[in-house]
Amino acid sequence: MNLLAALAGGFVGTLVITTLLQLATELRLTRVDIPFLLGTAFTEERDEAKAVGYAIYALAGVAFSVVYWAVFSALGQASWWLGLLFGLLHGLFLGAVVMNILLPAVHPRMGSSSSAANDGSLIEPPGFMMLNYGAQTPAVSLVAHAAYGAIVGWFIAAAG
Amino acid sequence: MTDSSPRRADGYAPIRDYAAIGDGRTVALIARDGSIDWLCLPNLDSPSVFGALLDARRGGRFVLAPAGPSRVERRYVPGTNVLETTFRTSDGAARVTDALTLPGAGLPPLRELVRRVEGISGDVRMAWRFEPRFGYGRVAPRIARRQRALIATSGGEALAVSSWDAGDPRIEGAAAGAEFTVSEGGSAMIVLATATQEPVVLPGRAAVERRLADTIEFWQGWTGKRRYEGAWSEAVLRSALVLKLLAYAPSGAIAAAATTSLPEHPGGQRNWDYRFSWVRDAAFTLAALLSLDSDEEATTFLWWLLQASQRTHPRLDVLYRLDGGTGTRERELELEGYGGARPVRIGNGAASQLQLGIYGELLEAALLHVSAHGRLDRDSGRRIAEIATLVCSLWRQPDLGIWEVRSDPRHFTHSKMLCWVALDRALRLAQNAIPGTRAPLWRHTADQIRDFVEHRCWSEEKRSYVRAQGSNEVDASLLLSGVVGFTDPGGRRALGTIAAIRRELAHGPLLHRYRGDDGLPGDEGAFLACSFWLVDALARAGRVDEAAELMDELVSLGNDVGLYSEEIDPSSGAFLGNMPQGLTHLALVNAAVSISRAAA
Repeated sequence: MNLLAALAGGFVGTLVITTLLQLATELRLTRVDIPFLLGTAFTEERDEAKAVGYAIYALAGVAFSVVYWAVFSALGQASWWLGLLFGLLHGLFLGAVVMNILLPAVHPRMGSSSSAANDGSLIEPPGFMMLNYGAQTPAVSLVAHAAYGAIVGWFIAAAG
Repeated sequence: MTDSSPRRADGYAPIRDYAAIGDGRTVALIARDGSIDWLCLPNLDSPSVFGALLDARRGGRFVLAPAGPSRVERRYVPGTNVLETTFRTSDGAARVTDALTLPGAGLPPLRELVRRVEGISGDVRMAWRFEPRFGYGRVAPRIARRQRALIATSGGEALAVSSWDAGDPRIEGAAAGAEFTVSEGGSAMIVLATATQEPVVLPGRAAVERRLADTIEFWQGWTGKRRYEGAWSEAVLRSALVLKLLAYAPSGAIAAAATTSLPEHPGGQRNWDYRFSWVRDAAFTLAALLSLDSDEEATTFLWWLLQASQRTHPRLDVLYRLDGGTGTRERELELEGYGGARPVRIGNGAASQLQLGIYGELLEAALLHVSAHGRLDRDSGRRIAEIATLVCSLWRQPDLGIWEVRSDPRHFTHSKMLCWVALDRALRLAQNAIPGTRAPLWRHTADQIRDFVEHRCWSEEKRSYVRAQGSNEVDASLLLSGVVGFTDPGGRRALGTIAAIRRELAHGPLLHRYRGDDGLPGDEGAFLACSFWLVDALARAGRVDEAAELMDELVSLGNDVGLYSEEIDPSSGAFLGNMPQGLTHLALVNAAVSISRAAA
């Protein structure tokens, strides 16, 4: 398994997932904006938050390809469809656990069940499968993550 | 400020009852009874979320007022676009401060509408009701309680209402609200936070208070920089604030008005979408802004116009979207219409009309800019020269004129005069700002146009310029003949035209635009900008006392907070047409400045 191929796949996959999510928001299918959510953990400035968020998101996208590479290596095989399957699992875990439970717990500006009257501005939390951002958000997220996984899987499989 | 109980007819408040607040992206209209009946999100030209203005039953609104009868006084916080409404009831008085806040302290929502209640005396029972309808009344959303807010969503849009000391809100289907009591010295706050294509930010009360204070400070600072020392300074500065309210900050475009389809005649069909920027207003805008020392807004507007018109160069569209785009397809909505006036239109089909006057407006705007700043960049100069040359081939065509008639094209006199203005300004600009290689053609064509107008658009019988070649009607736009310098403003032809227009189109201080056919059914009110043009024409003709007297009358016709719509019904004094109307306020500023200069 070629780690460089995984990193290249992670880079391309990140471009695709970012574009797909933005396309979905432009089509008014969802209000999810992951760079905004990530960036506002570090700054209150809207524009700065988006820039920081995109940088974190891009790095995370490439870093995740290393995890995919490790799993493919452990299984001893890689393919686009196996990647697609991992992508779906990745999307499910993200929606059900990371965005639903972990992010509100650590994000300094996100509303949670422990938010109180003395809190400042709070960002609407994503909820289970990010359903708070629109009923079609889970589908959008799963499709985008499946595409990411398929691309990473294809890159690793193609490099042999 | 007046003091009277608000009233509605069949659910519709008089257009005169509306005050406007805004943040440079969008504008909300608030009736005297505390109901926000118009708000488009995220921008002025987006679909409405509160549209009771155009459909009292399905449009959506956000009401905050005493639970029982009250009397109302309103004013803007001095020097701002922040509204203060004082409600007086038999139990006491409460003041509501309404603002669309500007981004500042803390993480702000994408757009934020603040309604702060303060108890002035006694104990006042207040009630609020949030009734959003997305997409021009099409979608009645389910409202959910989440964290400390009520959230309504539709597609990529979300609205969140947070409240403090304003009762425990109850959700009833697609609406929510509460009652509460505010006592002397007490306060409550209700905030609408909005999001488009992103998670909504739920603001904290302290941050909202800071942003509200910062918003007031910003507006007062901005107004403090406006330089106007003549008479009617209050009306002039209010007009400046209205123009700033209509300026779309992301691009610099200035919308003609904040609304669509408020009728030009009660129950009529002359209902148009004015949430676009008209080239026709360019010169009026530059003149008004520059005379108020608003160089920044004037320059931004001109650059926006030059950039937007690049897409259609060398031709100009009549109007452009606020983002500079050209897609303004007109369609009708299934809404009841203000007071039953249908159709309700969005988009504007006039965009692609041939309207020759706009070339003169653009060139005049460019000359005003160069006069103020001394230069124009090379590329803009080249394009303006090409536009002037285009005028030489276009001017002989009939067009639809400044009033965008929907009858057959004609040789409108005002259009020809403005073609002359285009070439006259091009010749002046050629001295230092634009390439003058085609100057001989421009000069020759300008002479031809002058000859055409003086011989074919003048009636010896009326002693006036007439509406179009061979016509026997007058037109209030011809008051501008002296204002734009086509003719001597104190000369026989200008004075004769003023007299004929007053004779045939006046109704007291008010003027109709014209009387003839325009291809549309029904009648319309008196057009307010024309009355201010009459003031301007009189002042330039040296009849300053007469101009000042008329100006006094016109200034008294504004609503309780100094705003004007497009037209007025001369018999009832009711406002008609879109509101607040930029052209009316532009004309007010320019008329006041003309009198000041003439009197100096």
